[in-house]
Amino acid sequence: MKISFCTDLDKSVVVANCEKRSWVQVGPEDDWNIYWAGTQTCRSLFSVDSGYRMNDNQIINHFPNHYEISRKDLLVKNIKRYRRDLEKEGNVLAERGDSKYLHLDFIPITFVLPADYNMFVEEYRKAPQSTWIMKPCGRSQGSGIFLINKLSKLKRWSRESKTPFQQQLSKESYVISKYIDNPLLIGGKKFDLRLYVLVTSFRPLKAYQFKLGFCRFCTVKYDSSVAELDNMYVHLTNVSVQKHGGEYNSLHGGKLSVQNLRLYLESTRGKQVTETLFDQISWLIIHCLKAIAPVISTDRHCFECYGYDIIIDNKLKPWLIEVNASPSLTSTTANDRILKHKLLDNIFNIVVPPSGMPDVRWNKIPAPEALGEFELLIDEELVSLNENNENGLGRNTNKWK
Amino acid sequence: MEEIKDFSIHHTTIKICEDLKNLPQYKSFYEDIQKLVSTPNVRLDDFRNSLLKAMQDNGLEADLRNNVYRWMKTRKKEQGPYDSFFRKAQIHWDKRIHKSLNSMSSELGISLAKLRANSEKEELLSKWNELSNFETDIHKYRPVYAPKDFLEVLLTLKGPCKEKPKSDNHKWEFAQLPLQVKNLGELRHLYAEFSRGESILNSNSFITTNVYFSCFEAERIALGEKILAKNYAPLAQEYLKKGCPKSLRARIWTLLLGAEVKQLQINHFDTLKKNILQYDLMIDKLIIKDINLTASNDDQYFVFEDVLYQVMLCFSRDAEILKQLPNQPAFMQVGVKGRPNTSENSLVFPPSGVIPFHGFTMYAAPFCYLYNNSVELYFTFRAFYLRYWHRLHRVCANAQGVVSLCLQYERLLQCYEPNLWHHFKKCRIHPLRVVIKWIMRAFSGHLPPEQLLTLWDIILAYDSLEVIPLLAVSIVIFRKDNLMKVNTLANIEAVLADLSSIAVIPLLQMALIKDNCY
Repeated sequence: MKISFCTDLDKSVVVANCEKRSWVQVGPEDDWNIYWAGTQTCRSLFSVDSGYRMNDNQIINHFPNHYEISRKDLLVKNIKRYRRDLEKEGNVLAERGDSKYLHLDFIPITFVLPADYNMFVEEYRKAPQSTWIMKPCGRSQGSGIFLINKLSKLKRWSRESKTPFQQQLSKESYVISKYIDNPLLIGGKKFDLRLYVLVTSFRPLKAYQFKLGFCRFCTVKYDSSVAELDNMYVHLTNVSVQKHGGEYNSLHGGKLSVQNLRLYLESTRGKQVTETLFDQISWLIIHCLKAIAPVISTDRHCFECYGYDIIIDNKLKPWLIEVNASPSLTSTTANDRILKHKLLDNIFNIVVPPSGMPDVRWNKIPAPEALGEFELLIDEELVSLNENNENGLGRNTNKWK
Repeated sequence: MEEIKDFSIHHTTIKICEDLKNLPQYKSFYEDIQKLVSTPNVRLDDFRNSLLKAMQDNGLEADLRNNVYRWMKTRKKEQGPYDSFFRKAQIHWDKRIHKSLNSMSSELGISLAKLRANSEKEELLSKWNELSNFETDIHKYRPVYAPKDFLEVLLTLKGPCKEKPKSDNHKWEFAQLPLQVKNLGELRHLYAEFSRGESILNSNSFITTNVYFSCFEAERIALGEKILAKNYAPLAQEYLKKGCPKSLRARIWTLLLGAEVKQLQINHFDTLKKNILQYDLMIDKLIIKDINLTASNDDQYFVFEDVLYQVMLCFSRDAEILKQLPNQPAFMQVGVKGRPNTSENSLVFPPSGVIPFHGFTMYAAPFCYLYNNSVELYFTFRAFYLRYWHRLHRVCANAQGVVSLCLQYERLLQCYEPNLWHHFKKCRIHPLRVVIKWIMRAFSGHLPPEQLLTLWDIILAYDSLEVIPLLAVSIVIFRKDNLMKVNTLANIEAVLADLSSIAVIPLLQMALIKDNCY
């Protein structure tokens, strides 16, 4: 049985993992079984114009409209809609207290600009002088991000960006979010979490969380003062930003493993609060996926690995910052390489059925030993299977009585 | 006979009382008792019993008992027939270190000690919480010595016996040193809980998800909380034998070591800080350099860099350390530059008497995972150093000293894996060479923090460092197959370089459980 793979990313961890499985590399025009593609390639493959039809033995690493989760504005829109829908149903999950959602309050208050400008101003007036963060919707790696703490600054920015020189820029929409100005600090420094989540199906939802993630630290001490508002080395944890700082260390790359974070928190803060924190993280991942599940064009050929960016505040509450549909597979350090190699290896173990040949007719229920460092987050199919089984058992016992 | 025993107890009691009176915490303890006596709970007609009862009720009795317990731990007699031989060797080594310090200082044209300029003092003070930003030129400084230099010293110890062995074996082993070390049988006796195969709580990612683990952990936490409530140090030691939940470790260690932080300790730490601000010692640069070379580059510890600067600099200024070390090291007396050369202008250099070697920071780094507060961290680290770590970089005959530990490693390897031993010999690589840094740093920086703290639990639980060579030999034997395939130092080191997959408890259990082919 010959299995072929194709990739348009020149990432050694992808190629090395495929070759380790003795898969043969082929071009996109050839007959491939597994395609590890960039989002652009994937989108054009699925577009109507391409006329490409995948057969049952082909799988690909993106869903056609992954941007529903990875674009900052769409993610927020989907989560807001999800909450509203649950509220209409009268679902307890959407319960509110003090005008806030009690269980679904896991993203900072966010508006899309320029569309929601008036709503933003209304919210801003509730707590003037608070800090907000502006992010261009479609960009990544920290580019184009800045902090504001005065409306005048925002107005000035919008005026300036409409000058003829920056016409393109003015077309770009932004999200503005309440800045988490009380992040949990370790050694005085701010960090965020990068966690990996694999989704093999949205309807029913099947998702797995990778146990090995890491914290990305700023190289400079955290300082919420106005004077440091423009110093992005203080505020942004993106490796692509920090790399340019004078303090960047290429041996550890500012990355601390999630296991070590857990050890630190459990030792210094206690077991209960640490467990609650990690449970809340899993909770927000699941609900974020449920929020986009109805709008994703689900396709049995697709699976996707998301990079979740999460900030923990000093009350140990996790906040979802954004989701990346093509998390970086570049390795900055030796440990990074080990982690990403394992990630890819474990992903392939889950998405390829036991027969070894990709097959969309497979029920996508991997054996527990295939999970590796992944943990099952949710499998709606398994849940309903179990429920049926339990009901069945219940009936049987009744019969015996 | 009874009489003699009574007399000796009486004698010990007098000694304990004297020593307790000299403890820094005695004053506040005495004040607390005085306050207690003036309460209605203590009655004049039954003074003795009512006082004892009152002391029990408000915890002063536990305090007193803990102090006696810790006194017993530190006053162990350390005498053997070869003490003078080892002392001479250590003095010789100290002299070499001091000489090298002196020559470094004259080479670089800087003085060992001088007063800090006001501007620098202010800068240091303002950056106290982010000392990594304190600009100081250290690129010319080199660590005074590294573990492998110390190994050379150990390997050239000729032994107090005059007659030289005929073969060239003495280049190969310490065997000529007439020190008693425990064999596997004796180690099994010492680590009885391990050799009986009792279940020991350990955080191993394979089992943390199973139900049995969570039940066991919950049980351990409940018991641990009880012990902490009792505030009873000997129980804390006993407790560690069956494993410590992560969430209780910091408090259990503090209790066991008597490292509680009260006003007295806060003041002490502050005095050390003031001393740092006042004096610019050359040792500071060596400390900064060491942190730079180790913790700052380490993906387990880099976040704690700034805490470590504080702690390590304060450590160098702490004269209590020199006072409390059982075998006082030789120390230097230096004059402060720019002051008349009188006795009041000279100081012990460094005040702690401890000159760091390459990797010294790693003795403190793992505590960063346990304590958020640098004062708490400092006192636990200092207690650990005074009890254990100082023995890992000094030549002495103590059964807990690095010489005995090396010997123990060597004998275990020779005894249980003669083939591997011969393989090393064939490659002309001393088997100690590949593990000396593990032993000298008590595995810090080599094992991942969670496993490392588990290992240190065991050190405290059995009040012994002998678990270090045992673990070292277990790892070497565990990787035997791969070691047998390579024959250069670089390749052997490569086989042993990554310890991220080592699980301490199972490996020790494998070595210690009886009726094992090992």
